[in-house]
Amino acid sequence: MRNLLHYLSPHRWRILAATLLMAVSAVCELLLPNLMSQVLDKGLYGAAEADTLPVILALGWRMLVLALVSLAAVLLGYRLVFQVTSGFTRSLRSDLFAKVHTMTFEELGRIGVSNLVTRSTHDVGNLNWIVSMFCGSALIIPLMFLGGVVMCLRKDTGLSLIILVMVPLVFGGVLLLSRKITGLWELSDDYCDKQNALVRERIRGIRVIRAFDREQSAHEGITRATRIMADNIIRANVSMSLIDPAITLLLNTAALLVVYVGGVRLERGSGLTAGDVFAVLQYLAIILSALVSASFSIVMLPHARVAARRLDQVLQAESTADAIPFEGLRFSGGITLEDVSFCYPGSEQPAVSHVSVQIRPGDKISIIGGTGAGKSTLAAMLLAYYTPTQGRILFDGRDAKTISRKDVRANISAAPQKSQVYSGTLERNLRMGRPDATQAELLQALDIAQLSEFVDEHGLDYKLEQSGANLSGGQKQRLAIARAILKQAPIYLFDDSFSALDFLTEAKLRNLLGEKIAGCTQIVITQRVVSAMRADCILVMDRGRLIDAGRHEELLARCPLYREIYDSQTGGVHG
Amino acid sequence: MKKHLTLDPIIRRLVASTRPICRYLLLSAALSLILIACAVAAPKLLGAQVDKLYAYDGAAGLAASLTPGLLILGGIYAAQSAARYANSYLLNHAVSRYYSADLRIRISEKLARLPISYLDKTPAGDILDRMQEDVSTMGSTVHTIVEVLITGFLQLLIISLFLFFTDWRLALVVVLLAPASMLLSGRLATLGEKHWQTLFEQGGELYAVTEECYTNFAVTKAFNQEAAMQQRYDALNTAHQKTSARANFLSSIVQPAIVFVDALAYIAIALLGGWLILCRGMAVGTVVTVILYVRQFSSPLERIAFTFGELQQTKAAAKRVFDLLDLPEEPQGKAVPAGPVRGEVRFSHVDFSYTPDKPLIRDLDLTIRPGQNVAIVGPTGAGKTTIVNLLMRFYDPDAGSILIDGEDVAALSRASVRGMFGMVLQDTWLFRGTVAENVAYGKPEATREEIIRACDRVYCDHFIRTLPQGYDTVISEDSTALSAGQKQLLTIARALLADRQLLILDEATSNVDTRTEIYIQKAMDKLMKGRTCFVIAHRLSTIMGADRILVVRDGQIVGFGTHRELLDKGGFYHTLYYSQYEIR
Repeated sequence: MRNLLHYLSPHRWRILAATLLMAVSAVCELLLPNLMSQVLDKGLYGAAEADTLPVILALGWRMLVLALVSLAAVLLGYRLVFQVTSGFTRSLRSDLFAKVHTMTFEELGRIGVSNLVTRSTHDVGNLNWIVSMFCGSALIIPLMFLGGVVMCLRKDTGLSLIILVMVPLVFGGVLLLSRKITGLWELSDDYCDKQNALVRERIRGIRVIRAFDREQSAHEGITRATRIMADNIIRANVSMSLIDPAITLLLNTAALLVVYVGGVRLERGSGLTAGDVFAVLQYLAIILSALVSASFSIVMLPHARVAARRLDQVLQAESTADAIPFEGLRFSGGITLEDVSFCYPGSEQPAVSHVSVQIRPGDKISIIGGTGAGKSTLAAMLLAYYTPTQGRILFDGRDAKTISRKDVRANISAAPQKSQVYSGTLERNLRMGRPDATQAELLQALDIAQLSEFVDEHGLDYKLEQSGANLSGGQKQRLAIARAILKQAPIYLFDDSFSALDFLTEAKLRNLLGEKIAGCTQIVITQRVVSAMRADCILVMDRGRLIDAGRHEELLARCPLYREIYDSQTGGVHG
Repeated sequence: MKKHLTLDPIIRRLVASTRPICRYLLLSAALSLILIACAVAAPKLLGAQVDKLYAYDGAAGLAASLTPGLLILGGIYAAQSAARYANSYLLNHAVSRYYSADLRIRISEKLARLPISYLDKTPAGDILDRMQEDVSTMGSTVHTIVEVLITGFLQLLIISLFLFFTDWRLALVVVLLAPASMLLSGRLATLGEKHWQTLFEQGGELYAVTEECYTNFAVTKAFNQEAAMQQRYDALNTAHQKTSARANFLSSIVQPAIVFVDALAYIAIALLGGWLILCRGMAVGTVVTVILYVRQFSSPLERIAFTFGELQQTKAAAKRVFDLLDLPEEPQGKAVPAGPVRGEVRFSHVDFSYTPDKPLIRDLDLTIRPGQNVAIVGPTGAGKTTIVNLLMRFYDPDAGSILIDGEDVAALSRASVRGMFGMVLQDTWLFRGTVAENVAYGKPEATREEIIRACDRVYCDHFIRTLPQGYDTVISEDSTALSAGQKQLLTIARALLADRQLLILDEATSNVDTRTEIYIQKAMDKLMKGRTCFVIAHRLSTIMGADRILVVRDGQIVGFGTHRELLDKGGFYHTLYYSQYEIR
């Protein structure tokens, strides 16, 4: 919690001013009834008939001034409060976003992307709300409460005791209840998630469900989950709604006791006046409203704590250490893997074990293997996403650890496994690797990636939706390829980049690509034999190990796994 | 404001939608009457007791004289708290159980009847949003409508009547200022509405960018785009901050504005009251009573104003929910009793397109004989799945007809047509349930023996038995206990158990390790035996083993025949076939 408080510290004067302004307005509102009773007392009961009207008018003016001051103070106060809140939220969000991008891949994987998204949006939203509540009203609650209590004590200690006994009772009750409510809310959130998951599952599987005519049972499952969800929401809400009536009842009882004890003491002649009793009753009303507001804040506090803890975790997460970047560093394309192993954190089996490979500048390399063979982990290490747990990677004979990650990545044109694109125009996506590329280079990259037809039809300023929802898998893949081509780094890395393309498209693309990037180091990761077989050297991987390496014909002759893959995919037919 | 309310069709429909919980709402209104009675009586009674203290003249028995009044007050307070709790209990149950839950269930029902075309183009998140957030908003508004509007208006009504009986002139001041403050707050609410709308949009954008950038983490790094992304995010973030401060501020004005109008009412009453006492000889007590009740007049007003503000947000939510419920549904045809299906499929002059301006299939005319195995081949995005969509009646042809065993499928119910097909998609779908339930999805009445037999035939039995609870292990879409290939095998077992005469297969392109792939291949071969099959084929061996090949390009059917025939004919299939040996 403390780490987040420093986001408020630049605003401390504003918060103070807002609190003061709110207090001014509260005092004005308290004074207004006072003036009213003066109107009654002085104007109506007391004064002589002749000057009554001027007195009333004068009081009327004063009331109007008070009302205006109160209005002005509260408006100014709110203005400050929302400046503070929105400023707090903005800097917190911005820092979170920046922080996530300095995270290591291990850390990102541990917290999880969807979890991080929830934290950066939902949890920040929660905190925003709570901060606005606290700055807006919660800060004057203790003022009102303490003020009320002090005024009571000044009037009469005996009567105040009744109130002072009630207060811990109320707080104790609210604390107990808030613990129960927090549990109930968590449970209810759980069931909401479950129902949500069912609906999502159903929409995703709609074709299968309809193919097997099971809509009815899908609907029944959701109906059941919805009912359970409703029951849990009700339970949480109903416990929550107990707070207000319970506090009111307690304090109303206190009021009755005050009147009764007041009556008894008046009879005994202890110096207490009826006016004192009336005053204590009014303060009691102030204390009541403060307590009710405070109790809601108390119920909200666990939410704030949970949100703050989750955000703190992100802000404290480990960042990657990096070498100093060297502007304009350009590789010639030689890569050496020396006994490289990698083990994901928490996993016992290494994802890549003892791989040694020598790649010369301009080599055309393919890596083939099934799922879990370690191909993508190898790619991730080349892109400096992960550092080998054992062994080392060298670029042009220089240990990758001594080169900044930025420089490594600047030297690799990569089309990663998941062809991720960004919302925005097609052109913007393309130019990511090289913002200063000429129009001709742009069109050439599109032509190679077999996207010219698409661009002719839709234009370079075609707006991509979030995660490229308005593109097909193949189109996204080709866009990712074009993006990599345009970057023109000395090393090209295609991780499963042709899987959604049919043979014809792939053939056209690969032929043009081969011409374009001839002389550059080229690494193609694939599960398809036809995508791999023309390489200078094919690396066959299985369960993290490098089984064999060589040309297609050599491997066909000596590597059983390679032959197995080949036969299964082509039915053993030769072209 | 009132007029505006009745004219708005969405609000009218929102109110109409509460019909099923009408009785509860009426009951709640009755409870509110108790609350109002308590609220009116309690201050008066307490005042009377305090008056006794003021009037104390030293005689004995003051405490005793207070007791009955205080006991009655205690009863009133207890009743008030009890009624409030009871009311909230009642409303929570009524709204959550019989309103929000029912709406969600109606949406779920609607899902079953929506055409696939709608679900294809609508993100699941959008539907979920309507089902969860929007319905929640509607529910909480219905809740507050009763609690605040009904109770509030009743309270206003009773107090104004009370005021008029006390003194009509003072009452007039109070009652006339009420609409003024409501108009003011209504005006302020609409002023804020525009900014809230912008804020929601900006919030959505911010969410989208956050999600996208976190998801694309690896690509952002590969292209060293961290700074660019941060810049993009910060621009949105700053805009959001400004709108947020503005929208919140505008909303926060409403309450102080009402308080201010209240103060004006106070002052007016003090002045008018003073004049009335002096010149018209009105009793001072009358003014005091009016002032006491003015306070009770202002708090429901504030709450009503607040609720009207909220109503603007609810309107948007309700519209989205009603729009979903109003969507056109798949027409239902006549159901035919399941008889033996021979499996002859005929496309007769079929025209089809997803969007009217882009015709896809034109005049498709071909016949597939029972038991034939048809491979559908063509480049990505060429429209191979379109054939499946038409066969399964996920979409209907624009012209022409599809006949199965000579009967036009358009005349049958969708369920009867789909009942003739088994289906295995590349995109495996498993739901949260046991392995056995997943396999028996197409035949829920299957016995355990039948399930095991089906699994055994398609090479599932051995790996199912290695799972912690065997066939009773709970699995789901993202369960890591099964590999992608094993999931694929389970869907094959599912189709085998369903035992339909027609079959649709979508071959997996990747993500399966080589050994499992061989099992899948063998399993598919077993499944296809003796059935009419449509296979979206990617592997050469499947294509060459097919009885007929349907070549698709740009949505058009450009060839139909055997492998040999098509190769001899040259053309597109020829190019397609040889292209795989040309990758350099």
